[in-house]
Amino acid sequence: MSTQTSNDLRADELLAIRCQLGERAAFADLIARWHEPLWRYLRRLADSDQAADDLVQDTWFRVLRGIAGLRDATRLRPWLFGIARRIAMDRLRAQYARPAAPDDALDELAAPEIDTTLENDLAALEAGLAALPPRERETLALFYLHELSIEQIAALLEVPAGTIKSRLFRARQMLREELTLRGAP
Amino acid sequence: MKPEFRSMNKVRAMAGAELSLKARLGYVGLLLVSAALTTVVVSLWLTEPSLPARTQLAFAVMSVIGVSWSVLAVWVLRARRPLFARDRVIAGGLAVTFSALFVAGCLAAAILSGAAPAYAAFGTGVVMLAVAIGVLLKARRRFAALTSRRRELEAQLGA
Repeated sequence: MSTQTSNDLRADELLAIRCQLGERAAFADLIARWHEPLWRYLRRLADSDQAADDLVQDTWFRVLRGIAGLRDATRLRPWLFGIARRIAMDRLRAQYARPAAPDDALDELAAPEIDTTLENDLAALEAGLAALPPRERETLALFYLHELSIEQIAALLEVPAGTIKSRLFRARQMLREELTLRGAP
Repeated sequence: MKPEFRSMNKVRAMAGAELSLKARLGYVGLLLVSAALTTVVVSLWLTEPSLPARTQLAFAVMSVIGVSWSVLAVWVLRARRPLFARDRVIAGGLAVTFSALFVAGCLAAAILSGAAPAYAAFGTGVVMLAVAIGVLLKARRRFAALTSRRRELEAQLGA
């Protein structure tokens, strides 16, 4: 594990502990640090910015009520994304008014609109990512954009680590093909 | 404004309301007062001989109301407004102080009047005090453990 990653994990743990102690300023830091990543994650699961706004607010509501009971402060990151994912899945189930497994629920989502006027590499990457099927998109985003480990993603998505590895392999291939098709560097 | 930041202000405002210490300690106060009053009512009810049926019913209703308030306070503190480590130490201190005053009051009433309900309330008050001391000690241990880990992490990060 690199020093940077190790320091990031320590910083996450410190933030969680400050919140658990009840330091009000720590909650402001927690929101400043994690609001954008959570919103972006939820935006990939939702069909509009407005829906992502609603989901992220519900997520924070549950985080504020639950962080005092978080047993292992080192697991702050997967805990946050786990709450966000459960809320998104609950919303989807309610929306479609029928029971479905989490991964099936993801498949119900329409792929977000693709930006055809790519301005830079980042926009191309975002668009390529958006074109992937929901499972591969989510796995890739959690691994590369939100820096969760394979074990953490496996726990979050409730599938074996081997499945995550194969999804990552497949997702990378699909993203490469997508970017080649779009003529991105 | 980028769309991801649009909802941030709402979240910050929500956090301010959710994290209000006043609201949390209000429910701690409700729990303590309702527990003490219920103790007094139940002690009177159980130790008063040959009460008419209407009075028995009135005591029963008052006891149920008291227990209901306590249950509500416990539910809110567990599910809606959980106490953070620092809040628990404050709440534990309040509980010990309140229970000690209650026990002292019951003891004084028992000695001065010699009435059986006062002795019964004193006995229950002692149990409440013991529970409050246990809660305070546990809260202090948890607070100390978190503070120690916090210092350790701050030293490692050079904060």
